[in-house]
Amino acid sequence: MAEVQQNDGGGKGKGHQKKMQIRVDFTPMVDMNMLLITFFMLCTTMIKSQTLTIALPSNEKVQNEENMSQASADDAVTIILDAKRKTGSFDVDTVNGKVQPIIYYYFGKPGGDAGILGPGGTVLSENNNIQESEFLANDEKSGKARGIREIIQQRNKDVLTEINKLKEKYASGGFGSLETKDGREKAQMAYDEAASKIRKDENLKKPVIIIKSTPQASFGSLVSVLDEMQINSISKYQIDNMTKADSLMVIDFQNRHHK
Amino acid sequence: MTAMSDVTVLLLTFFMLTSTFLQKEPTTVITPPSVSTEKVQETNFVQVLLSPEGKVWLTMNNDTSSNWSNEKMKMALLDKVSEIYNESHKKKISFTPEQKYAFSKVGSFGVPLSQMGEFLDLASQQEGQTKMDQWLSGEDENPNHVTGIPISWNSDEAKPNEFQMWMKAMRQTENSNLADKIKDGTGVAIKADQNTSFDIVHMVMDNLQTIHMNKFTLLTALKGAEE
Repeated sequence: MAEVQQNDGGGKGKGHQKKMQIRVDFTPMVDMNMLLITFFMLCTTMIKSQTLTIALPSNEKVQNEENMSQASADDAVTIILDAKRKTGSFDVDTVNGKVQPIIYYYFGKPGGDAGILGPGGTVLSENNNIQESEFLANDEKSGKARGIREIIQQRNKDVLTEINKLKEKYASGGFGSLETKDGREKAQMAYDEAASKIRKDENLKKPVIIIKSTPQASFGSLVSVLDEMQINSISKYQIDNMTKADSLMVIDFQNRHHK
Repeated sequence: MTAMSDVTVLLLTFFMLTSTFLQKEPTTVITPPSVSTEKVQETNFVQVLLSPEGKVWLTMNNDTSSNWSNEKMKMALLDKVSEIYNESHKKKISFTPEQKYAFSKVGSFGVPLSQMGEFLDLASQQEGQTKMDQWLSGEDENPNHVTGIPISWNSDEAKPNEFQMWMKAMRQTENSNLADKIKDGTGVAIKADQNTSFDIVHMVMDNLQTIHMNKFTLLTALKGAEE
């Protein structure tokens, strides 16, 4: 292919037919192509970013107290995000350039029914119902949830059992055959619908998760906690500001546990 | 040799056709990992880029298939934002056609509106692009050149800060595709580093809530094997 045969027309009377061979050198072209490929390979982005959709309430003050949706103390789980600090200071500690998240959580009201504040504004340590946890993946061997995920799952047991039943039904073809692509899509849609119905079911006991965060906590931990909501099929959660009681409890907890 | 050149040409064609170039951004951020598998919008979205220090830049990606070209959109946006700015400021701003043209060509943008004219004038200078990039990434030698859109805690909708002005101007775009996407939340993406403190992200979210943009997305990276 790189050789071109040239025929000089084979004119008569000019003696023997001449055959000339011209060879085209492809090496520079291949070199150039390789360079261009390298350039394009390095400049392209193949991986596309993912997104996480969140919806927040409006900033407007609710005029009517009746319009406010109140979470009952029984269902409320408050999660407070924080970052690991350097020993003896408020500065954020990093490991390999990554901020290490810490999670505090408590059920119900801050300080329980008695409240965290004693007479004269003193903090009652014995009422502090805050507990510490961390983000952990499922246990590799048993597949059991650990860390904050375990706690959320326990609170959302009712919904999760129903969802797991649906998953089994889906896997065994209960929503339609999984063999064709068309069938899989249909089954997925039916599954999604059934799952969303369960998440909204008023008869099941569901926790309301309130996510709060200290200013120093990292954006990464916020995304992690939103992930947990998705993993554990939590239907009601919101991002809120820290209250005074929250800060007092966190400080009290830190004073006692992180010297 | 022939076979090899065939292969290289094929590969080259493949990469040329599939490539989308990395946009130069004023700061490099590593987005946090997440299990979410929703893909980011390719067109019609506004990206809010946040540096760990709390500086904000905006990027507007447009739908090239509609009859709104990126250039046309950007020029309209600049008009809109100066209109909103002039409502609340005594010192009015206006831009020349050259400056508007220069604005339509920039990728990420984010300088205070009072310095926008000066920033856009750089485009016609020699090595203007480099100078503009330096200004945006804060490597400029001139201490008066501020990078990042001015933003502050503000919950008064009647007195928007400059960031809120930009977002309002974007929402009022006449490109209905973009306006719809912004409305349903998929058209606004916040891109921040995983180590950025919650305080800074919260400020941006609060700013958006104030102007009734309650739904938006956070840019994340796909989580690899359980980390």
